[in-house]
Amino acid sequence: MKISKFLLILFFIFSANIQKSFSDDDKMIKGLEIFNEIAGCAGCHILKAAGSEGNVGPNLDTVSLTEDSVKEMVTYGLGVMPAYGEENILTKEQIDIVSFYVANTAGK
Amino acid sequence: MKKRRQKLNLNRRNFLSGTATLAGLAATASVVPINISNANHKDGSKGLPDFISWKDRNALIVHSDKGIETHRSAIGESLITPNRNVYIRNNMPTMSDKQIGDRNNWKVSIQGVKNPKTFTLAQLKKMGHTTMATILQCSGNGRGFFEHKVRGSQWKTGAAACVLWTGVPLMKVVDACGGIDGSAVFMTSAGVDHEPTGLDPKKAMVERSVPKKVYKDAMLAWEMNGVPLPNAHGGPLRMVTPGYFGINNVKHLGKVAFTTKESSVKYMKSSYRISPIGKKGSQYPSCWEMPVKSWITRPTDETGTVKAGKVQIVGVAMGGTRKVRSVKVSVDGGKSWKRARFVGPDLGKYAWRQFVLETTLTSGTYNIASLASNGSDKQPELRMENRRGYAHNGWKDHSVNITVV
Repeated sequence: MKISKFLLILFFIFSANIQKSFSDDDKMIKGLEIFNEIAGCAGCHILKAAGSEGNVGPNLDTVSLTEDSVKEMVTYGLGVMPAYGEENILTKEQIDIVSFYVANTAGK
Repeated sequence: MKKRRQKLNLNRRNFLSGTATLAGLAATASVVPINISNANHKDGSKGLPDFISWKDRNALIVHSDKGIETHRSAIGESLITPNRNVYIRNNMPTMSDKQIGDRNNWKVSIQGVKNPKTFTLAQLKKMGHTTMATILQCSGNGRGFFEHKVRGSQWKTGAAACVLWTGVPLMKVVDACGGIDGSAVFMTSAGVDHEPTGLDPKKAMVERSVPKKVYKDAMLAWEMNGVPLPNAHGGPLRMVTPGYFGINNVKHLGKVAFTTKESSVKYMKSSYRISPIGKKGSQYPSCWEMPVKSWITRPTDETGTVKAGKVQIVGVAMGGTRKVRSVKVSVDGGKSWKRARFVGPDLGKYAWRQFVLETTLTSGTYNIASLASNGSDKQPELRMENRRGYAHNGWKDHSVNITVV
């Protein structure tokens, strides 16, 4: 009984990890789509991972960013960069996803 | 890859139509090592962006390829900041030689005058000639000291420089156009560096209005520290608004207009407004006149430990739009102050002065601060809290901790 409980717990832990991993992969795929096509980040930023060559904002390959700092920037904007959150250009979920994507590709 | 590029082009069209937009992820989270020996180029391989490959990498802190700061100890000890050490903060991509074309054929239109005209750079060079030292300082210089989360480059002291400009006094140009027409209240300068991007001018054009009176001391500059104005600093022609924050010194200048209203572009209407934390809007003051300010440039925590004995404490001080009158230095965190001595030539009220205090320090740790006055204003102890981290001139944050051994 104890062994089966232990195996059950192991199964859940394993499943959770698998789920997280898939979730992150999904976010990377969706994040790329938002970056290149929905939000238009690619029009202004260089990011090797996205194949983008925009030269208005900072080259994202040259900076290290945390997910929170990207979220802040995407939500409230700066200078010519729109406030994607405040102006309802992107949904909160989209901002979360593209921020995850950028934080995991910028400066790499 | 091909498919991806097609998507990018589509995106570009969306952007130009204003439905999709651009991004500008400034280096909010970039960590800025202060030690000059590893000067934010940890692996030694990350150099400077191509457009400023001629600058001195060891003098600079790279926040991003669009935001590059001068080390506190590299601001220059001979009054003028060498071009290779001057910071970079550009809202639009630097224009290339190809985009600029024949520099002498660069055009600027003068409007809001009795006889509006367009002049080439070659014509401007025949209209007048002067050289003036002014301080170029980003509105956000000192943002890195704010404790609330402020977006934008985390400048400490190095988004500032003292520069010798050569060009034509704007007064001469205005006179050649018959003088200001009507009841203008503002002088509005516009750059053209947004044009190659194809972006919506309302969002991307750097057009800045300042009070009309500024034109009396303003100049149109084509040289910077004795060389043709580098593209990275707004060449071939730049507006110089002495005593006013950097953003008003419009790069790649294409138009100067005397207007009754402030520009309605984003960079005037909503950006560069000094508002309380959590608030924003065009009702708040714009980043115009720079306040009195000073900071220590040597010794600092960048220059390592200091040998006990006689020490020269050196720094720079500015009066904003007034002449800087005095600087006091403290080595005990502001408990006591001694008057420092100005050194080097006085290049006018818009330049900064270097100061020095010779003192003797025994082994221990010290907090060194400087406090400047322009006769009517002096630096406050604390920063003025504001949403975007602008106009910081509090002496406490700008102080340095040193160890004497």
